[in-house]
Amino acid sequence: MILRRRSTRTAALLAALALLAGAAVLSVGVGAHTIAPAQVLRAVLWPGDSADHLVVRDIRLPRAALAVAVGAALAVAGALVQVLTRNPLAEPGILGVTAGAGFAVTLGAAAGVAGGAPLELGVAVLGAAAAAALVGSVGHGSPLRLVLTGVALSSVLAGISLGLRLLLPEVFDRYRFWAVGSLAGREQAETAPALLVIGVGVGCALLLGRQLNAVSLGEDTAAGLGVRVAPVRAAAFLLVTVLAGAATALAGPILFVGLIVPHLVRPLAGASVPWLTAFAAAVGPVLLLLADVGSRLLLPTGELPVAIVTALLGGPVLIWAVRR
Amino acid sequence: MTALVLRRGGLSLRVRRRTLVLAAALLLAAAALAVAGLCYGPTWAGPDRVYEALSGAPGGPHVVIREWRLPRVLAGFVFGAALGAAGAVFQNLTRNPMGSPDVIGLDAGAYTGALVALTVLAGTPTQLTAASVLGGLAAAAVVYLLALRGGVSGLRLVVIGIAANATLSAVNSWIVLRADLDIAIAAVGWSAGSLNGVDWADLGVPFAVIAVLLALLAARSRAVLQASLGDDLAVATGIRLERLRLELVLIGVGCTATVTAVAGPVAFIALAAPQIGRRLAAAPGVPLLPAALVGAVLLQGADLAAQALLAPVALPVGVVTTAIGGCYLLWLLAREVRRTPASRSRP
Amino acid sequence: MRIARTALATAAALTLGLTAGCAGGKAGPDGAAAATRVFAADNGDVTIPAAPKRVVATGYAVPALLEASAPLVGVSTWNRGIPLMGEADRATYEKLPKVAGEQAAETNYEAVAQADPDLIVIGVPKPALADIDMKRLEAIAPVVAIGPSVPKAWRELSRRQADAAGSLAAFDAVRAEYDKKAAAGAQKYAAVLPKLRLAHLGAYGEVGKGNFQREFNGSWGTNVAQDLGANYYGEVKVRGGGSKDVSEYPSVEELSTAFAQADALTYSVAADGSLPAPVKYVLDSRLWKNLPAVKAGRVFPLRYTEAATYRSALRTLDAADAAFAPLLTK
Repeated sequence: MILRRRSTRTAALLAALALLAGAAVLSVGVGAHTIAPAQVLRAVLWPGDSADHLVVRDIRLPRAALAVAVGAALAVAGALVQVLTRNPLAEPGILGVTAGAGFAVTLGAAAGVAGGAPLELGVAVLGAAAAAALVGSVGHGSPLRLVLTGVALSSVLAGISLGLRLLLPEVFDRYRFWAVGSLAGREQAETAPALLVIGVGVGCALLLGRQLNAVSLGEDTAAGLGVRVAPVRAAAFLLVTVLAGAATALAGPILFVGLIVPHLVRPLAGASVPWLTAFAAAVGPVLLLLADVGSRLLLPTGELPVAIVTALLGGPVLIWAVRR
Repeated sequence: MTALVLRRGGLSLRVRRRTLVLAAALLLAAAALAVAGLCYGPTWAGPDRVYEALSGAPGGPHVVIREWRLPRVLAGFVFGAALGAAGAVFQNLTRNPMGSPDVIGLDAGAYTGALVALTVLAGTPTQLTAASVLGGLAAAAVVYLLALRGGVSGLRLVVIGIAANATLSAVNSWIVLRADLDIAIAAVGWSAGSLNGVDWADLGVPFAVIAVLLALLAARSRAVLQASLGDDLAVATGIRLERLRLELVLIGVGCTATVTAVAGPVAFIALAAPQIGRRLAAAPGVPLLPAALVGAVLLQGADLAAQALLAPVALPVGVVTTAIGGCYLLWLLAREVRRTPASRSRP
Repeated sequence: MRIARTALATAAALTLGLTAGCAGGKAGPDGAAAATRVFAADNGDVTIPAAPKRVVATGYAVPALLEASAPLVGVSTWNRGIPLMGEADRATYEKLPKVAGEQAAETNYEAVAQADPDLIVIGVPKPALADIDMKRLEAIAPVVAIGPSVPKAWRELSRRQADAAGSLAAFDAVRAEYDKKAAAGAQKYAAVLPKLRLAHLGAYGEVGKGNFQREFNGSWGTNVAQDLGANYYGEVKVRGGGSKDVSEYPSVEELSTAFAQADALTYSVAADGSLPAPVKYVLDSRLWKNLPAVKAGRVFPLRYTEAATYRSALRTLDAADAAFAPLLTK
């Protein structure tokens, strides 16, 4: 069913936000040992010095915030790419954009370029842009070809990374993190710049929605509505690379979030790009929070990188999307 | 078109002259690479020494060449041929240059099978082989069935394969992370294909299996060619398409999984070799013989590169083939775009 | 790898242990080949030369045999041990041809063959032996595998490794020196150390997984401090075999539960005194700063905890002595 009335959509968005809050509480409660929701609430509102409170405030809340930001960034980037390329299979992960960002960070770090978090972020965004440009120029035309190009690029980068790691083990072992996306152990890393960039990026994407809506109706229609196509497309492209790059800088390459979420929320948003973006920004974090909870439950000792859980979920979704 | 007909026993093959010349050239290249592979090592042994070793001279370096380098070189040749042929089979079946077994998730499935054999069963070589063949077959079957609606040709099959690949790879990492340390170590060695350390004991059964499969394939090569030119033509010449397809799938999966069981997943040979072979042979369809020989040359070359690139550290050959094969795939896609500018505007 | 003409000649004389007669070249160890003995190793009873002349060592056997001045002709790389090596050993290590990388799987069999050893000593943990083609190595020379089982076993292992390589005398001298120093240290701390309930934070946690390494008695980080009388309470929840019998990797969230009972804490630092990333990660967290032992100021950094030989353990002893010194003044 496709919801058309504005009030219905608003209600659905509110429901999604409520779901987000629930997922956040769940994700803060689950971990090495379970902390009851009431205790979680107390830790947030009346912080004390007990171990549970410290765990909630210093470890689980930052991690949940990370999941929210990364989930929103990837889902919105996915929605934008799908609109931009008119390709239901497009997604920053599958298209190799996150792989490019991760590879750039690894390379930059090995060359001693990416010192602090802001520089790392810059390098990641550059890598994302380079990968997106390459994949876009080779793979445009057919939706499936685009996917194939992204996969080919990812496997080339993976091969080179492995070779480099064997060549310079002491340099690259520290950056194994960039090979598989994960949200663990990041609570002390300097995440503020990337979080800020994601916040601004998602905001811009919401503002750009109306123009993109016009562009998605076709160039003539857009011109008729007084929207200049080229700048809007360029801005959307920029947003995709910035969001994907920032998400990768935070959590490493994570696939499929940008694919799953837009498909999930499309029935709610219909053809409206602003609503699609808004729903993606609300539901993306839910998906990543739940995947992160799953990553802690699937492995009794230690945890599974969250990117493995999203791949587990995402493969079937991709098949379903192709078969439609 | 110049053609000659070879007759030996009941088997008759129609081979174009160009294909014959090409095959001879490729065999020559493979032989040259084999000699280079026998000479190459931390100590370079001259061809004269290699000759002595092969003619059975005793002594240390001779044994190194005979017992260590020769099996590796032969494995490169035979496995490369098997992968190239399997790739050609699948590309013919799907009529799609990207429809190769590694792209559609067969390797990942075979790896899952091997992991199950390692973690749940005892992990004996027989179990490893059987489990990886079963895993590969299951993955191929699932991908095939999922892509069936609307025909298996086209990029759809490939994208479904990619999706299956991603899911299976995730499952594989999960199994490895859950496994005990020593099993995990053995399993990780499996994740990128490698010919390092293969010796005669590892090769007897796989070589026999591949020989049988390739012979079966050769017997069907004519039918394959006709089927690849069009269903109508094939049916008109009296080929039972469904049965042929099933046989071909079994042969292709058998080749890929056998190689995977011994060497781990060696990606992209199956993708690149048939396409290169087709261009060199300038033939319609995807001819099998050039594909197999190009595969042999490619894998041998990649294995030499893998040994030499970071020497003395030996790189798994799968890493080299992945990096090179990925570049090749990108180039293939880029070319396709340039050739068909009309597709740009297609939504 | 550069190959001189002489190397080729040497390789030509290499007999893979099949024939003893054709070693007619200049390096031929004619006289010694006769005397052999049977040595009990992880891979069974192996017949080895009584006085080996050309030894290849890998893994933990590398530092042990360097210190025992064994007649080495090839080693695996052993980067983690470099900061612990003495000047002379370090120079020898740098000069020796490398026949394998840090991982057992990176063994370069042809390079081993080229080194033309009469004995190969493999010092890798048992699970890693699966990555090594033993048949190939055995074709080159007798192979003895003497790998670490639990970390504290380095004492006996390094002795057996030195024994196999026929260098016991040099080994025992260093051990005597160590034992003397340890006894003196134990005397010095007899009044304070044995009473403390200690816990150790190791350097092998993984920030990317958000965990930390806790080491108990008999682990790398603790065994030398134990010689001074230190006692690390508790034991692992699940015995994982090998080093995981004496150390575990809980989530950083469990920091307070794990260390709450400790009177004092020790943690591993790098050879230059800097904090390894996994240790820094824990020390920077508020959970750590909230621990009773940390609030009481009873935390002691231990250097050189990777020691796997007596000579390097001498440095570990000195470092531990310096670290625990504040206990005596209080």
